[in-house]
Amino acid sequence: MALTQHNLGTVVAFEFVRTIKKKGFVIATLAIPVLLIVVFALVYASNASSKASADAQKSAQFSFAYTDASGIILSPGAKAAGGTYSDNPEAAIAAVKDGSSEAYFQFPADPTKEPVKVYGADKGVFENGKYEAVAKQLLEASAQYAVGSPRLTAALTGKVQFDSETFKDDKVAAGVGGVIPPMLFLVVFYISMILLSNQMLNSTLEEKENRVTEMILTTLNPTTLITGKIISLFMVGLVQILVFLAPVGLAYLFFRDRLALPDMDLSSLVFEPGPMITGALLLVGGFTVFTGVLVAIGAIMPTAKEAGTIFGPLMAMMFIPFYTFSLVISNPNALIVQVFTYFPLTAPVTALLRNAFGTLNPVEAAIVIVELLVVGSLIIRLAVHLFRYGSIEYGRKLSIAGTFRRSELTAK
Amino acid sequence: MTLGDAAEPLVHIEDFRMDFGDTTVIRDLSFDVHAGETFGFLGSNGSGKTTTLRALLGIYQPTAGTLHIDGKVFEPRDGARLGYLPEERGLYKKEPVLDVMVYFGRLKGLSKNAARSWSENYLERVGIPEKAKTRLDKLSGGQQQKVQLGVTIMNNPELLILDEPTKGFDPVNRRLLMDIIEEHKRAGATVIMVTHQMEEVERLCDRVILLKDGVARAYGTVEEVQEEFGGTLYRVTYEGVLPESDLYDVISAGDGRAELAPRQGASEEKVLRELVETGAGIRSFTPARISLDEIFIKVYGEQHELAEG
Ligand SMILES: Nc1ncnc2c1ncn2[C@@H]1O[C@H](COP(=O)(O)OP(=O)(O)OP(=O)(O)O)[C@@H](O)[C@H]1O
Ligand SMILES: [Mg+2]
Repeated sequence: MALTQHNLGTVVAFEFVRTIKKKGFVIATLAIPVLLIVVFALVYASNASSKASADAQKSAQFSFAYTDASGIILSPGAKAAGGTYSDNPEAAIAAVKDGSSEAYFQFPADPTKEPVKVYGADKGVFENGKYEAVAKQLLEASAQYAVGSPRLTAALTGKVQFDSETFKDDKVAAGVGGVIPPMLFLVVFYISMILLSNQMLNSTLEEKENRVTEMILTTLNPTTLITGKIISLFMVGLVQILVFLAPVGLAYLFFRDRLALPDMDLSSLVFEPGPMITGALLLVGGFTVFTGVLVAIGAIMPTAKEAGTIFGPLMAMMFIPFYTFSLVISNPNALIVQVFTYFPLTAPVTALLRNAFGTLNPVEAAIVIVELLVVGSLIIRLAVHLFRYGSIEYGRKLSIAGTFRRSELTAK
Repeated sequence: MTLGDAAEPLVHIEDFRMDFGDTTVIRDLSFDVHAGETFGFLGSNGSGKTTTLRALLGIYQPTAGTLHIDGKVFEPRDGARLGYLPEERGLYKKEPVLDVMVYFGRLKGLSKNAARSWSENYLERVGIPEKAKTRLDKLSGGQQQKVQLGVTIMNNPELLILDEPTKGFDPVNRRLLMDIIEEHKRAGATVIMVTHQMEEVERLCDRVILLKDGVARAYGTVEEVQEEFGGTLYRVTYEGVLPESDLYDVISAGDGRAELAPRQGASEEKVLRELVETGAGIRSFTPARISLDEIFIKVYGEQHELAEG
């Protein structure tokens, strides 16, 4: 019906505008990006200064003393690196301690059994690693010389790259690069729930607390109202995500190198259509179920406080599947994983995880998606029903059975 | 339905019964409201008026009975031409007056511009044009009521259901509000009105129902109800002693004033002649109708007598 659509649009616009106009909302939404910008600025400033000092350090060699019980270390190499042979470990250690020597390496008789001991003057957490690095280099270079073959030394010291491929159904499995993209749906699910769940819970509360229910229920169809509210919430969530992401995106584009952000190799990500589509549908289904449940709880509970008591356990449902994380990945047929896959409140997270790790077969995926969408829309309808017959019981908790007993009578 | 009924009633309630838990609040209530009439829904506090209206509008589910508007159970259809002023008032408190009015106007089928200009005119008319941009919770109680009434009558509803519309208004604004309701009545709207102000009923209502403890105690035109509760009475002022007569009963007497209720077959003329002939020193003789107030007290008083006895 044209008018229904018109009203849906009216509700969406009204709810959306008044939500994003609220001071609390603006503050909460802007707080995180502002915080991010502050953190970025701090990181930027300290990186700039530490980079300058790091450059200075690179060129500044240090001198060290060493003892060698193994006889592996070549003295010309050690000399070139700035080392002086010592035969008095105690004195060398004491010299490092009192600051007259920068470092002292003690190579044991058998490096396979005993550790190489490294003593150094403290230069801060970041720089202290250089002592060990030089000691290691010295040992490796000396060993390589003794073996006479860089290839053998590489094999021995583990400096060999491995490139592995695993096969599944006669195709190369995508590996971690294939897990990340469908996993993003799980991330989006969590973010949207964290941002929106409270507002969903309270979406019908204002009507109840302000006694608008009677006015609104006689003016428009409750389904239109609830649908409109859900759509506007969704839009609000998108706005929040965009506002949150804006500083991250800007920072990534313009200051990537300065911020020492992880320079991801995007080419290793594999976007397989199957898991991506499944992930998107699972996300929509999960969103529908949780929205329905939250709105329904809001319709039953007279105040935000009372609604909050159910809210906690419900949110726990979103995290419980993670307790079985390793099972979810390794043994999807375990009973608990099967239960979590199909129980509507744990299904979204469990199925999204399994989808990302490729242990959700297409049949299971189809069942879960259909289940989520059906259960979700049933719960939303229940929420509408509860709102319609429940919210007039201002200040009282609603008996669900009561609303149905009464509606049966009118149906007669 | 009997033959010859002019038209289907707009509102039809038959054998309506409402229980809350184990308590029956309304028992076998039946009445009709016809298109175009103004109907007074009267009754003491707690007699079930609000409950009946809520059940009629689908906010409560009735325990039993038929409650129809225009031949059907009311469904909150989008854009229905219904104006309902609930007893529990309330609007979106944190939004500006005009925004809320425009929102409801749009839901009731007006365009944004039409809703806006109508609202501005209405605020002007009820004397609060400067409050258009003020948040609702910054308005006084009466001002909020005005906004609420405005929202109710937007887009000229065909059926107006008003639960104590004058609650919280001062006498001047009460008159203004009655004028507004009367305009809608004249424009052809059907009005169902709950009120405790009998002069409002006498001014506006064509027919009334009087509810007591969930049961109808009187139902009909204002005249019919007056008739039922004693109909005509005569107010007399006199000197001396008021004689006994089998033409009338003395309802109240003293201080040179009396109210006489004529008995069966006693006309105005007969009673007056009797009074004059018995030499009661009659100064004035005014035929009057029993006021709704008196009927109300009569009906409500019985309850007290019962409770005490
Ligand atoms: N939701 C409810 N649950 C339980 N009892 C209720 C409920 N709503 C109303 N009642 C009871 O029903 C009876 C009728 O209430 P109602 O509000 O219909 O009276 P009313 O005629 O509108 O009174 P008033 O003139 O004071 O507004 C009262 O005794 C009231 O306690
Ligand atoms: Mg009432």
